[in-house]
Amino acid sequence: MRLLKTGRWITIVGLALLAAVYVRALAFTPLERFQGAAQKIYYIHVPSAVCAMLAMGLVGVAGILYLLLKDPRFDRFGEASAEVGVAFSLVMLTTGPLWAKPIWGTWWTWDARLTLTLFLFLLFLGYLLLRGAVTEPGLRARYSAVLGICGLVLLPFIHLSVYLFRTLHPEPIVLKPSAPSLPSEMLVTLLFSFLVFTILYVGLVTQRYAVSLLREQADPHA
Amino acid sequence: MPENTPYMVAAYVITAVILVGYAVLLYRRTLKP
Repeated sequence: MRLLKTGRWITIVGLALLAAVYVRALAFTPLERFQGAAQKIYYIHVPSAVCAMLAMGLVGVAGILYLLLKDPRFDRFGEASAEVGVAFSLVMLTTGPLWAKPIWGTWWTWDARLTLTLFLFLLFLGYLLLRGAVTEPGLRARYSAVLGICGLVLLPFIHLSVYLFRTLHPEPIVLKPSAPSLPSEMLVTLLFSFLVFTILYVGLVTQRYAVSLLREQADPHA
Repeated sequence: MPENTPYMVAAYVITAVILVGYAVLLYRRTLKP
């Protein structure tokens, strides 16, 4: 299948570029004066968080489009995006505490930003569990679309939580209305990492979408 | 070795394990969907 091959190639390119991000971040990006090596977690933590939110945002958009147009391609895309979102959420939720421990002195704190990102992860899991529990395809797609839209509604709260609530989590350094407050070498590394994580998201979603398509062709009533 | 290096190494290793692991998992699923 052409779609599957395309997804595989994009993923392979994405993984090769991820290695380049590692080299760039570890060997060619300066150490931050106060946080030392731990700050370099930034180059994987932030892009993974953004991709997890992108994944949920697109699950929600696909849900809206499915409810409007009843096109199964949107349902298939929502499923693919949610599963890939689990992988990026896992990266976000493991790299975050590894950065927090040396800087904040604790692995985890139940403040607004961290708790809401945990909700995002649980919402991804709930979405996939729901899909596994409902066997009737039309009903499954409708329920999933509604849950995906709920996830979409959560996203602005996650982004704005650092402004709305008292939290240990720092405010955005790049994704904010004013110019990024980051030295140019660090900014280039971060933007490169954003690009690579986005390529990986596209490759993985394309492959996962193709898996759904193959399954449906094998068993049209599944 | 700079301070905090083990945390950074752990984060980079875990990220690679999750993303490469998921890519491999998907590849295997495409062989037997």
